[in-house]
Amino acid sequence: MSLMGGVFEVIERTLAQHQVKKVTLVKLKIGKLTNAEPEALQMAFEAYAKGTVSEGAELQIELIPVKGRCKGCGDEFLVAGLLFACPTCQHIGIDIIEGEELLLESLEVEE
Amino acid sequence: MSSQREIAVMANLLQNNDIHAEINRKHFQKNNCLAINIIGSPGAGKTTLLERTLSNLKENHQVAVIEGDIFTSKDADRIAQHDIPVIQINTGGGCHLDSKMVERVLPEFQWGQLDLMIIENVGNLVCPADFDLGEDFKVVVLSVVEGDDKPSKYPVIFRSSKVAILNKMDLLALVETDLNVMKEDILKINPEIVIFEVSCRTGEGLQEWVEWLDEQIRQTKGNNP
Repeated sequence: MSLMGGVFEVIERTLAQHQVKKVTLVKLKIGKLTNAEPEALQMAFEAYAKGTVSEGAELQIELIPVKGRCKGCGDEFLVAGLLFACPTCQHIGIDIIEGEELLLESLEVEE
Repeated sequence: MSSQREIAVMANLLQNNDIHAEINRKHFQKNNCLAINIIGSPGAGKTTLLERTLSNLKENHQVAVIEGDIFTSKDADRIAQHDIPVIQINTGGGCHLDSKMVERVLPEFQWGQLDLMIIENVGNLVCPADFDLGEDFKVVVLSVVEGDDKPSKYPVIFRSSKVAILNKMDLLALVETDLNVMKEDILKINPEIVIFEVSCRTGEGLQEWVEWLDEQIRQTKGNNP
């Protein structure tokens, strides 16, 4: 629910700079290494959108897999399961470079 | 005539929380105060751990507590009995603290003297993990009776914590939990995490945790003399 508050803060801020009649599509990018649940987001979206220009808009959620970069050999790889280690050199220090996103990518609107 | 078009946005949904977390972080740093965010499910033993930690640390350090709770002040009342400054935040149904709630209560403490601020989050292993409060690090409390499957079911909090405290070790023999599996999974998710095995009821293992935390407090003060 609080994440959806963030979505609508961003929508409001964006719409303040445009003349928009209706929002028809909201695109989110959500990393898999977050606690955001697509189904819960969908429900919260409908609740928040009610009575606003976003009512009836489609919510599209792109899930981003977890990608790491090894601090040892610099290799980049998808983190399989829960094993946060480098598959090439087995180094255990890795930086997460993708998969932690909580982003509003774009809006489709009618002007 | 109405026309359709796409507006590119690319904005972080937690931007607002992150801005206020940064304000809190600067505030803690300016006052040479270590701030920790304690997270765990209801009943994991967060408040009891806090009480044990306080009674060990309060002789050498000035400690204060922010208690997050959905409705009650039960935990804050427990802490207040230790003669420690404590502020209660009731989230009114919210399942986690956010950085603005914490920022709002910061003026209520006597800064300059404080060495350690402990923030006890709402009992929940999920949402608090995503919300930075401006702390130096997160401490996840998991009791061994909750089951060895919990780290793999809730990886985000174990990935983002610096410390994992495995509580209720005195009950380990009574439950099916495989402690090795629990620890192996935690270390797979976060190889750099520091694990302490404790029982807040018997006191087992608490000394190691308190000494480690004491060292962190000293380093924070040393970094900003």
